[in-house]
Amino acid sequence: MGIFDLISLILDNLNRRKGRVGLTAVGVIIGTAAVVILVSLAIGLQANATAQLAGIGDLTLINVIPTYGGEGDPGGPIISIDGAPGNIETKLLTPDALEELRTLPGVQDVFPREYFYGEARLKYQRLETWAGGTGVPPGALKTMGLIAQQGDVELEKGTIVIGSNFNTTFFDPNFRPGKEPPPPPDVYNQQLRLEIIKYDPDGNQIIKNYQVRVKGILQSNGRDDWAIYMLLDDVTTYNEWVNGQRINRNKTGYNEAVVKVDDPKNVKPVYDAILALGYQAFSPQPYVEGINSFFTILQVIFGGVGAIALLVAAIGIANTMAMAILERTREIGLMKALGATNRDILSVFLGEAAGIGFLGGLGGITVGWLVGEMLDVLVVAYLAGQAVQQGGPPPPESAVITPLWLAGFALFFATIIGFLSGLYPALRAATLVPINALKYE
Amino acid sequence: MIIQMENPTDNVFIDAVNVTRQFQMGRLTVDALCGVNLQVKKNAFQIIMGPSGSGKSTLLYLIGGLDRPTAGEIKVDGELIDSLDENRLAIYRRQKVGFIFQTFNLLPSMSALENVAFPLRFARVSRRNRLKKAMDLLEIVGLADRANHKPSELSGGQQQRVAIARALVNDPVIILADEPTGNLDTAGGLSVMQALADLHSRGATMIVVTHDTRNRQFATQTNFILDGRIVPQEIYEHSLNNLAIEAVGSSPTPSENDVEGQ
Repeated sequence: MGIFDLISLILDNLNRRKGRVGLTAVGVIIGTAAVVILVSLAIGLQANATAQLAGIGDLTLINVIPTYGGEGDPGGPIISIDGAPGNIETKLLTPDALEELRTLPGVQDVFPREYFYGEARLKYQRLETWAGGTGVPPGALKTMGLIAQQGDVELEKGTIVIGSNFNTTFFDPNFRPGKEPPPPPDVYNQQLRLEIIKYDPDGNQIIKNYQVRVKGILQSNGRDDWAIYMLLDDVTTYNEWVNGQRINRNKTGYNEAVVKVDDPKNVKPVYDAILALGYQAFSPQPYVEGINSFFTILQVIFGGVGAIALLVAAIGIANTMAMAILERTREIGLMKALGATNRDILSVFLGEAAGIGFLGGLGGITVGWLVGEMLDVLVVAYLAGQAVQQGGPPPPESAVITPLWLAGFALFFATIIGFLSGLYPALRAATLVPINALKYE
Repeated sequence: MIIQMENPTDNVFIDAVNVTRQFQMGRLTVDALCGVNLQVKKNAFQIIMGPSGSGKSTLLYLIGGLDRPTAGEIKVDGELIDSLDENRLAIYRRQKVGFIFQTFNLLPSMSALENVAFPLRFARVSRRNRLKKAMDLLEIVGLADRANHKPSELSGGQQQRVAIARALVNDPVIILADEPTGNLDTAGGLSVMQALADLHSRGATMIVVTHDTRNRQFATQTNFILDGRIVPQEIYEHSLNNLAIEAVGSSPTPSENDVEGQ
């Protein structure tokens, strides 16, 4: 039998028994809807948790810090180190060391990061703020995945890129209580005065002035909202002036290096390789992976609860098909007499069972999606209420997320469930002895 | 074993040799057919007469490939059908056999036209050609104006004529009818037998199983079957008379329709 003839025959047969097909499909609808709602809820929870974690930053970046060796406790913020405390080799992040990191397989880029460790003020008109600062080479901000909301992130000499909230730190040093505090200034593309301060042995302040221009303001990402980024060479210049001597990177190394990995799945091997070289490293990825795997387990559990409902529906389909075969025994005999092969009969009955699953799946997706949307409104409203009362973080935009793949998967799964439930009854139908089937009363 | 043959070597189209069919009823083995031989010529109108339970329908279904003999062989149009596998047997039924049943076996949800066209679904004929062919056949059986009626809207005789059209839709080499008039009144039965006779005159080979002696007038050849064996006419009639007397003697009304008309 041709595929179109088969489908039209299946549809005719399903249409003939609308009531029973509908009732059987209700079971599938409930099961599929349960799967869709519960998994959507789990996905929504995960998306919200991931959004909270976004402040950790790009997961393909690994921060590397030097190891300062010596006897006993190495000191410093050690995240992971192989072997027991003892004789630890000093590993500085010299230019040669950066080249060594660059040769590791999976590494896309390596750049140093240097902090300004003096005291400095940024002044704009009559406002000022205390300024720290991180120096990076040209192009590094782009590699770090930072995006400008104003201007761009291409640092040049004498320019800075600031976080989205940095301008709120400006204050008026002549501010008197009772006066209206000044609004945060719009400093984009403005020249600011950078005053770097150091003290002579007698404790007298020495100030050196530089002009810096705000080249870009970053989009808010949580982590860099109060940051100042400047060119590595500028930071080196400032630090050298504060120290009063030239810095030899081959001797002292950099404060920190950032390793950009080409693919998230290479983060772990690169991370391990960096540790093996004797450096200290930090990557948020293992934590995020842990959280993700927790949510995957949650999805599976939620999906499993829905699947139990689907299992019950599957038994319903099997029962309906078994009944249909009893009722339609003569019809099966007739089809055989008219030249239907066992395979034709099998296809018709399997198709009907899968059709019930498919229809139930369609209904289940629709119901699941609608209920999910309603739930979403309720949950978001509740969270918003909580946030107002308790001053927590703002509520998520949506708490229940139904992705297209879930709808597709649910439909496919419901159809397969129908198909499998129909297997036994359809096999029985196909192997009926035609003469007995024709005589069946 | 009694063998009845007419011109045994002349143009034999259906050849059943020593066909035996046993059914297992629990521990009991029932012989439905015991070494039956039957030869049917091309373009014959073969009638097989026998009372209920005589094995005549069993023989018909064996020839139609809906059942397999316990022993013996059946050749149709040169093809040994008892050795075909399930799939080939289905194809044999699809291509060579047209069945007509006592209870019509029309699908109640389909119109007359769709019922006639139904078998062609299994033969992968396009919907358009199926319906055209079915319409032509409904015209032949005189029901073109009822093409869109459901079986429930047709009389018994009309339903059986629809079933005849369905049996013809695959251009079969043999038409097998199992008590085609059994569920019909006299007028309906006559119209059906005339439709079959008309097909026969157009060249069809057919085997009609019946217990109604009035149908014999259409036959080119008649065989009689009793208790799974083919018997001469005189033995058949004698035996049926005795059966009828026994039935009348033992109970006020005959329990089987099959003896009516005797």
